[in-house]
Amino acid sequence: MVKIFIDEKPVEAAEGLTIFKAAQNSGVAIPHFCYHPAFVPEGSCRLCLVEIEGSPKLELSCSTVVREGMKISTQSPTVREARRGVLEFLLAEHPLDCPICDKAGECKLQDFYQDYGLTESVFREFKEKREKKVRIGDKLILDRERCVLCTRCVRFLAEITKTSELGLFERGIRSEIGLYENEPVRNGYSGNLVDLCPVGAITDAEFRFRTRPWFLAKGESICPLCSRGCNIFIDYHPGFSRVPGSAKVYRIRPRTNEAVNGHWICDHGRYGFVEWQQKNRSEKLVWNSGNGTTQMSWSKVMIAIAERIKALRERKQSGRISIVLTTWLTNEELFLIKKIFKDGLGVKHLFFADPPPGTADGLLLRADRTPNRRGAQEMGFEPKPPDFAELSKDTEILFIFGPHLAGSAGDRAWKSALEKIPVKILVTSHLNELASAADFVLPAAFIAEKSGTLTNEDGRIQRIEAIARACADVRPEAQILLDLAREIHLDDAYFKALSGPGSIFRALGKDIRFFEAKP
Amino acid sequence: MSREFAPALKKRIEDIASRYPTPQAALLPVLHLVQRDTGFLSAEEERAVASLLGLAPIKVREVVTFYTMFTRKPLGRFHLQVCSNLSCSLAGGESLLKHLQAKLGIKPGETTPDGKFTLTEVECLGACEQAPCLMINFDYYGKLDPDGIDRILNELK
Amino acid sequence: MTMDARILTKGFELEHLRRIGTYIDQGGYRAVKKALTEWKPEQVLEEVKKASLRGRGGAGFPAGVKWSFVPQKTDKPKYLCVNADEGEPGTFKDRYILSHNPHLLIEGIVIASYAVGIHLAYVYIRGEYELIARRLEEAIAEAAAKSLLGKKILGTAFGLDVFVHRGAGAYICGEETGLLESLEGKRGNPRLKPPFPASVGLFQSPTVINNVETLANIPLIVLNGAAWFLAQGLPKDGGTRIFSVSGAVNRPGIYELPLGTSLRSIIFEHAGGLKPGRTLKAVIPGGMSSPVLLPDEIDLKMDCDSVAAAGSMLGSAGIIVIDDGTPILDVLAKVAKFYAHESCGQCTPCRLGTSWIHKIVKRMAAGKGRAEDVDTLIRLSANIKGRTLCPLGDAAAMPVLAIARKFKGELERAMKGNA
Repeated sequence: MVKIFIDEKPVEAAEGLTIFKAAQNSGVAIPHFCYHPAFVPEGSCRLCLVEIEGSPKLELSCSTVVREGMKISTQSPTVREARRGVLEFLLAEHPLDCPICDKAGECKLQDFYQDYGLTESVFREFKEKREKKVRIGDKLILDRERCVLCTRCVRFLAEITKTSELGLFERGIRSEIGLYENEPVRNGYSGNLVDLCPVGAITDAEFRFRTRPWFLAKGESICPLCSRGCNIFIDYHPGFSRVPGSAKVYRIRPRTNEAVNGHWICDHGRYGFVEWQQKNRSEKLVWNSGNGTTQMSWSKVMIAIAERIKALRERKQSGRISIVLTTWLTNEELFLIKKIFKDGLGVKHLFFADPPPGTADGLLLRADRTPNRRGAQEMGFEPKPPDFAELSKDTEILFIFGPHLAGSAGDRAWKSALEKIPVKILVTSHLNELASAADFVLPAAFIAEKSGTLTNEDGRIQRIEAIARACADVRPEAQILLDLAREIHLDDAYFKALSGPGSIFRALGKDIRFFEAKP
Repeated sequence: MSREFAPALKKRIEDIASRYPTPQAALLPVLHLVQRDTGFLSAEEERAVASLLGLAPIKVREVVTFYTMFTRKPLGRFHLQVCSNLSCSLAGGESLLKHLQAKLGIKPGETTPDGKFTLTEVECLGACEQAPCLMINFDYYGKLDPDGIDRILNELK
Repeated sequence: MTMDARILTKGFELEHLRRIGTYIDQGGYRAVKKALTEWKPEQVLEEVKKASLRGRGGAGFPAGVKWSFVPQKTDKPKYLCVNADEGEPGTFKDRYILSHNPHLLIEGIVIASYAVGIHLAYVYIRGEYELIARRLEEAIAEAAAKSLLGKKILGTAFGLDVFVHRGAGAYICGEETGLLESLEGKRGNPRLKPPFPASVGLFQSPTVINNVETLANIPLIVLNGAAWFLAQGLPKDGGTRIFSVSGAVNRPGIYELPLGTSLRSIIFEHAGGLKPGRTLKAVIPGGMSSPVLLPDEIDLKMDCDSVAAAGSMLGSAGIIVIDDGTPILDVLAKVAKFYAHESCGQCTPCRLGTSWIHKIVKRMAAGKGRAEDVDTLIRLSANIKGRTLCPLGDAAAMPVLAIARKFKGELERAMKGNA
């Protein structure tokens, strides 16, 4: 450790650390464009210059390593003048696009101008005219007038995806980012360029003109589309409290976690998440009785289901209940299923229907396209696909969790199997063919509307937080299961104590060693 | 689409590449060689060079567009590069340029319709003691006045 | 009037000096023999240090000191890069050495490489010097044929290969790390320093980068000794300089003179003074990047320290003389255009600052300037100076600052009357 002074405050910094990192660790923010923790310092934006006692010139904080006794000023008049200078230079050629630029509200140039600039424009010349709407990827638009040439995008594509679709052409003021012969950015990680770009030069075509960042709230969650469990932020409009279900997810962004996903998420997750969140949602409670569908209330439906279960229990035939699960369920939900159906009712036929595996891409995306297989395994489940013969032979009541059964079996075996089963209860967040085949369709929440934990492939237990309530009828599976347990009076004392995901997880930890650790 | 280089040219490229521990270092000399051969560097030449040196084509274009002497468009047979820097202008370089513009009927950056002359303004050629200077392809000419340059141009076939 | 100070350019008038036969007849390659067979590498280095040979490219850094920064023990190969980019406007001395006496340079390259333990050297020569590059390659082949290059030079254990590498039109590749990037086949974007090329240079290995003229002096130092070399110049700035003189003088050309020669004498005696009827307006002493001097500042000793003390720099010793027939705005226009054109574009102040300055000066030259433009030029230049990734920023800012400050009156008067 070395002792340095930042703005006259003594700071202990690890040896080999740059001034920038040492400052960051001690809560001192230094403005920057080209610096990014994932890359080697570039030193080209010149915004991070600081004053070091004894040095005749200002030095870059991003690349200068701390030395014992170094006295650094990040606020001296010279430093402030230098920052104003850099910002003034950038703004001289920057288009006055804020009113139409998607980045407004989360733009570094705006933020730094606000904090360190506030200069009057004295630029009286003609600004460089450049292309403003270059399609550089399926969902990426480049505006060359806004580009500050931080080269983060070029470096990302060179060092992380190693695909180098973007290059730096020409020289001097005519320098520009571009593709090679219109070969687009298409490498499964293109969306990260939007997050990386500090200004509105690279923007998301899906997000273009749709909303403003200051209307959006931010939640922390985990991407459920593969077993890596990338940490994400969900940016959503919170909706209006009197209109349930009015919350809307606009996009997700990576949440830095060096141990899981670094600074990135893949496009499969980034765009897939919003698709899953928004499309084909199951929103209505449905009971397909013989003469058409009837809309019911939750209490009525729970009673109806509980009656059928109780009937089987009386005949000592609760083994005739079968379950098709999915590893999309959280640890808490799987635990409740274990407690209610496996331990409580003695259900024997437990299967899993999941999205089929894909190909791992060697970076973040895993072949296993489910978020909680490890959790299911640690809980004693054996995630095996349904044996339809077994399923239809002995089943009186079938619970299906998730929509994936309709996609899992290559053949249409599930259809004929279901026809043989008297009572089918579908608990799902998404509608597909299964819904018309089921007797009860219970609308379940999707990841963004649930709280709980997921276990990624490394055995890391990670938390998801509900960001909003979905519309009126939708409920998290955990809640549905607790209501069911109460309705069938399965160990009232035990289940009464379980009020929410927190208490469920604690109970899980007591039951199974693996889950003892706090997420 | 990428060009196939003639065996002799390929051999020269490989010889040059062998002078360096990494093939990329041969890029500038190789581009000079190829441009000498084809006259300009289109995407086809870029891809061919990239493939021979084990580089991504985009890296080749990054270099081609950085350096003034590489051209992506064909030039006239005689590239008249007039120095527009300080010492030459102190010796009348600007009137030399104007004379050429008038004589050839083209502006800097343009080529005569018959494809014979391209006129370009360049920076200091390092021959200031012979100002005003120009470079025709790779030949230096200095101490030029309108008559002098006229005589030189007349002899160019 | 002066003794013939020519030690470097001696024999340049001989048409065939560039042929190895003539060069050897004139006493060439004796220094290499002496260094390789009588001296240890450390002795060569010490002698060059004692000779106070300062870099002739522009920065004026002592060559021997630079060589000593290269680690003696390293498992990486070491490289020598000869900076023959000669892009500094007003400079043409290296062109003379390269075309008239390439073997002097080769001899210097061999001795320098011997001193530092280098076995591979590249001469980075500007692309426009194509014919000169070919001559240099011929000279290298001649030297190799006589065992003065290659595996066992003059039968000793020391070996060296030299290759010529042509640039392609970028002033920034005369900056040492821009040169390295360009030699590696990339855009000539300068690198952050530290690390310095002496430890992390070409291909990430320890590298020495020296100017042509700097290396051309090495054989003379070895043959005649450091004391002799110092006696040709000054105690802290040994030897001669080849001054490139151009602009409004009667006899533009190269003049090899002792360090410390007065600028006035260079202009008015050696270069024949101004054209009839003309008076002196301004002098650029060390290539376009050096701050301009006024007529009352030319009683100046031309050596690194004296010119620095006068607020300018000796730089590449490219002297450009401006007389009263040239509006200073025209000079400013050439300066602004050059740096805007040559900025590599990597860092914010240079990329945007040189362009902005160029746009302002163009507007001024087109008759649409305003009085406050001169102050803006000064402020913008001050925001570039010292803030950029490489010295081109300073090179762009200093001349504009000097002209805007020293000729403020003339510039503002030129703007008067504009709308």
